[in-house]
Amino acid sequence: MKAALGIATLCFATLGLLAPPSQAEDSAIQLSVTNGNQVLDLPLVSGIDEFKILGTTNLSEPFSVVGGGNLSGYTWMAPSAGGLQFYQVEMVPKDSNSVVSANVLNRLAYGPTPDEIARVNQMGAEGFIQEQLAPEKIQESLAIDQVNTSSDWQYVTATGTGSSSTLYIYLDRAGDCYVDDIKLVRGSVPEVGVNLLTNGGFELGLTDWTVSTNLTNSVVVSSPIHEGSQALHVIADDTGTTRDTSIWATTATLSSSQTYTLSYWYKPGASLTPNLTIRLSGSGIVSSPNSVATKLELGNASIEDLRAWHVLHAIQSKKQLLEILLQFLENHFVTQYSKSSDFLSQYYQNGEEDTRAARMEYMENKLWRGALLNPQCTFYDLLKISAESPAMIIFLDTVNSKGNGSNIANENYARELLELFSFGVDNGYDQNDITVMSRAWTGWSIRLVDPTNEFNAFAPQSTTLRPGMTNLARPDNLEGIWAFNFKTANHNTNSKTIFPNKVVPARFGAPYAGRNYQLVLPARNGTNGIKDGYEVIAHFADQPFAQEFISVKLCRLFVHDDFATGYDFTDPNLSPEGKLVRDCMLAWEQNVPKGQIRKVLEVIFNSDLFRSQSGSMQKVKTPLEFTVSAVRALRGLASDGTYTADSDGFSMSSPLNRMGRMRLFDRDAPDGYPEAGAPWISAGTLAERLRFAQAFLTARNASGRPTDAGNNFCDPVKLLKTKLSATDWNDAGKVADYFLAIIFPSEGKGNLDAFRNLAINFLNTADDGVTASLFSSVGNTTTTYDTRVRGMVAILMTSQRFQEQ
Amino acid sequence: MNNFNILTRRSFLSYASKAGVAAAFSSLIDIPLIAKRALAANAQLGQNGKKLLFIFLRGANDSLNSVVPVQDSAYATSRPTLGIPKDGLTDYSTSGAADMPLNTVATDPTFSYPNAIRLGNGFMALHPSLKFLTPLYNAGDLALVHRVGYPKQSRSHFDSQNYWENGNPNINASKDGIFYRTIIESGLAHTAALTGVSFQSSLPLILRGSDAAMTNLSDPSRYDLFGLPNTTAGNAKADVALRAANQFAFPDKKSRELLSLQYKNMTDTLSIFASINFKETLLDAGNTDGDTIPYNLFPNSNAENGGYAAHANSAAKYVISPSHYSFMQSLKSAAIVLNKTDAIIAGTQLDGFDTHSNQGSVNGSHSNLQKAIGWAMYALKQYFSNHSDKVNWNNVVVVTLSEFGRTTVENSDAGTDHAEAGVMFVAGGAVKGFGKGNASGVFGGSPNDSVPWVPGPASGGGSMFGASSRYLKRAVDYRSVLGKVIRDHLGASQDQLNRIIPGYTVAGEMLQSGGISTKDGTKIMGELPVV
Repeated sequence: MKAALGIATLCFATLGLLAPPSQAEDSAIQLSVTNGNQVLDLPLVSGIDEFKILGTTNLSEPFSVVGGGNLSGYTWMAPSAGGLQFYQVEMVPKDSNSVVSANVLNRLAYGPTPDEIARVNQMGAEGFIQEQLAPEKIQESLAIDQVNTSSDWQYVTATGTGSSSTLYIYLDRAGDCYVDDIKLVRGSVPEVGVNLLTNGGFELGLTDWTVSTNLTNSVVVSSPIHEGSQALHVIADDTGTTRDTSIWATTATLSSSQTYTLSYWYKPGASLTPNLTIRLSGSGIVSSPNSVATKLELGNASIEDLRAWHVLHAIQSKKQLLEILLQFLENHFVTQYSKSSDFLSQYYQNGEEDTRAARMEYMENKLWRGALLNPQCTFYDLLKISAESPAMIIFLDTVNSKGNGSNIANENYARELLELFSFGVDNGYDQNDITVMSRAWTGWSIRLVDPTNEFNAFAPQSTTLRPGMTNLARPDNLEGIWAFNFKTANHNTNSKTIFPNKVVPARFGAPYAGRNYQLVLPARNGTNGIKDGYEVIAHFADQPFAQEFISVKLCRLFVHDDFATGYDFTDPNLSPEGKLVRDCMLAWEQNVPKGQIRKVLEVIFNSDLFRSQSGSMQKVKTPLEFTVSAVRALRGLASDGTYTADSDGFSMSSPLNRMGRMRLFDRDAPDGYPEAGAPWISAGTLAERLRFAQAFLTARNASGRPTDAGNNFCDPVKLLKTKLSATDWNDAGKVADYFLAIIFPSEGKGNLDAFRNLAINFLNTADDGVTASLFSSVGNTTTTYDTRVRGMVAILMTSQRFQEQ
Repeated sequence: MNNFNILTRRSFLSYASKAGVAAAFSSLIDIPLIAKRALAANAQLGQNGKKLLFIFLRGANDSLNSVVPVQDSAYATSRPTLGIPKDGLTDYSTSGAADMPLNTVATDPTFSYPNAIRLGNGFMALHPSLKFLTPLYNAGDLALVHRVGYPKQSRSHFDSQNYWENGNPNINASKDGIFYRTIIESGLAHTAALTGVSFQSSLPLILRGSDAAMTNLSDPSRYDLFGLPNTTAGNAKADVALRAANQFAFPDKKSRELLSLQYKNMTDTLSIFASINFKETLLDAGNTDGDTIPYNLFPNSNAENGGYAAHANSAAKYVISPSHYSFMQSLKSAAIVLNKTDAIIAGTQLDGFDTHSNQGSVNGSHSNLQKAIGWAMYALKQYFSNHSDKVNWNNVVVVTLSEFGRTTVENSDAGTDHAEAGVMFVAGGAVKGFGKGNASGVFGGSPNDSVPWVPGPASGGGSMFGASSRYLKRAVDYRSVLGKVIRDHLGASQDQLNRIIPGYTVAGEMLQSGGISTKDGTKIMGELPVV
């Protein structure tokens, strides 16, 4: 049977979108014959909700919808009884607003949540963009942000299982605090029931308690107390971890399959409060009064605390764009926790080198956060925070760099400041500029100062001795904070000329081309020397090279990966990418003050590239984006006020490490973790992503639950029951449609047809993969149903499409 | 409309747009890859049973303290703290086999010899922590190629590593790897699932490219998928669904081909890795280093590390630093994969070479890295000589890469900074080192070279100050070394090599014949007879 000629027509019902050039290349309809049946291979075009097959037997007649036939994915097979026809394909596009909405959730946020999709569809992408550009106006009160630095008595409870009948009390370092009224009861309600611990209120002194050597100075006191007449003053001279480094007692016999609740009253001790832990041996119940946020503020959080806090913000915060930008800055102005810890280990060996190094990383985040909440925040503001960060001063070796006398300055920071942080590699500078500029930074160092002097670069070393210490020359004998400090004696006082007689190249066009961007730093003595560094960054921050490089990086983050420095901005055939960078630069240059980040972002978010298919699903998720977006994708608010997907934050570190050594705050090279996909995607790392997704979808209490996702949990059945009406719960098609819509919100239904069939087939097949088991017949409160839905969602999340953003 | 085995129009056209390297890439555009393989008449690439193992030494190895110019008077004066001392009883100017400071007494510390090891080319010596290289050197299985670099050398780690990996110095637009192109030229990418394999945290640029996926694993024991439920049947159900989803057609977007190729590579290679035992214990054949027991070739714990356990847990009997166990496992995996599969290129990396401060001399951080290099080469020789069943040492070449060397003069932090030329270690049964047609296994490290190593200070034109008056000046291009191996060991034709390393088609680069490079006026030696 001869096949008739097929003609493809691109019919976009509403042209809210621009069809990018690449779409046109693939928009060929192909007609072939298989076993006597005509088969159409449909155009591979994104954002299509429906493919309609139209036909006519006579070209002078209008085309009409062809009945029958089998459409599967991008292939349509004509009904076998059909005769010769001319064919036309009408592609009904997905509503362009929903494409942009999906895109903003993939770029201005760590991926959509079910509720955010609905919210953004309602407020419009434009409304969401405006909302996210002004995080200072977003009201939010997350539990993970609650800081408690009260010095009063605080009530603490923890529920768990009776792993063992011994209770430990210890601190994580030398220091002190107060504990009173410890109670352990059966069940989940604090203080209801018999106290399974004797002398939990210390009314009998230390009877029934054994005190280990590192806590030997602990005493029972009559003031301060919470109740009764005595309380325990816990005094440690070293870290506690287990029984023999704790104050411990034997409880009544506990059962490991039984729930118990611990409660007590806690009061912080002297300043720099250590972290208290009260727990059962075997950790069936573990309690620590200080939340992660509190520890971060007190400066005694670990790097894992900081990572968990950062991940939980990425998952939970409504200020998504703020979180995206903070991660961008963390990865742009790279500092390395391990190197700081290593540096500080010359002063501390008791674990303080770790918490103080973590605090340096936290302070960067905190200061950038504060800066970004200012509507007029500029790149200079952000660069200044980075330059002054003790972590940066250590990371790129400025800390000991000397330029006085015949000393030769260390060039590491000078090089990376230009190559990685401001201009981009070889963009407007040479080796000589690096060498000369490195002298400007000599003297930028760090010192342990009184906390009130944290932002005073000329402050002297702290003079507050720790209890029991005497040596004013040793930092580990002193209270204080490690802060940026200018060491005048190390500074190179000579005049320095950077970019001598250099002129902005012609390619930048007006108003930049031809400008002389030489910087002369005069000779400076004493504390005036500090001005060298500030003048360097003030000068660099708004040069066209920096405008170009930072704009390129932001475009790579928000649009797609194919932007680079080096455009000829005067070329009349400048690519759309080049034009966008140019527009970003002009927004940078022409507003006052220069370099406002929000002005640049507005240009990007308003651009055609961002709003079209060119900016949609063109990038690959980094490990952080993949794991966080997986949790968010299933995280809806249920009617009982809980979320249908959640994370403890801590459980992300291991997967991120396995997916390519993405260690937050600990990148070992100053170029930052890659933004593009190729470095992240290969056999081993893909396997880790897939394992994470499958483990994440596995039910929390399933026996033998794989550990690859740790304490990241979800409940897709609870989600679907919240969102769908009960009549749909056993409808494989409706259930599949729901999850397809929330996991792939930017794809059209026509594009997802093959996935839909796969999902429905999965739902209708038993666990053996072979036997038919109609989803409509599976009781929707059964484990079978739960596993079936989970497995289907896992298939969607392990697919190639979920790796994209 | 499957999009993975055939160039889509999109990538087809995007190749054409890479005009910057048009001379090299133009031949890749016109002809389908399968036909191209047929055109490469008589080429053996990928079919001759030869294998290549690479180790990237990341951070820039201080070559002057690895292969040490002890007879250059400027060496000791430039490195008063860091310099490796000469043995007063040894005449380093004599020729012949290298000295072998292997232990004669079992209880002696492994690295008890504290001086530079005489090599026998009359000029160079080895860092004492490289002592396990000496058996390879004397068997003629080792070539030490010194003064290796490229024109207009970058001193940026990121850029220079990229150039070593993409084989196109100073061309940032070149985004695929030299070993990727080697495999493409071999045609294996369309017939074998495993062609190029790395064992590190992510796939390095040297194996990356847009038309075929090479494989990277960090941990073979975790290379395994499961489904929901996590039962045999549930896993199979998920596997079927995953493979079905991989077949779905899709509109092209920038990353979709990458994802498609890599997903396919993953699903194609899972069963291959599952069938390989990566955990087998591999011992040296016979007692090692004068000890009473054979040592574990790829130690993964203190107990397996040299003579530690046999000598009452003595750290002095380690053969490598404990911080390098995971490197050794990656190396072991690379070797096993080359033996057991069709892969022709495998490799890994060793980090930590960026020794800006306190690098140590005979001992210290740089020394520990040399121990890893030395033992790695020794272990590979022993593995491929005594354990591998399908691939023999005579069919293997091991090559190290590093982005540049380090400054001749030590800095005030007892370290060294970024410089230019460095050293490449090339090992294998097929290597033509000492006694295999070459009087010494040192290339580029002698005043008698055709581009001589000029000893002495900058004022006398000393080679160690030949570049910018601070850095060792190159006399060999790294591409000449890799090119020789890719052609004369792996079996590429010259035409294929010209496409793999486009610099071969640029007369002014002098990569094959040597001469004065028109890129920067430096005289280089061209290809050296290392294989």
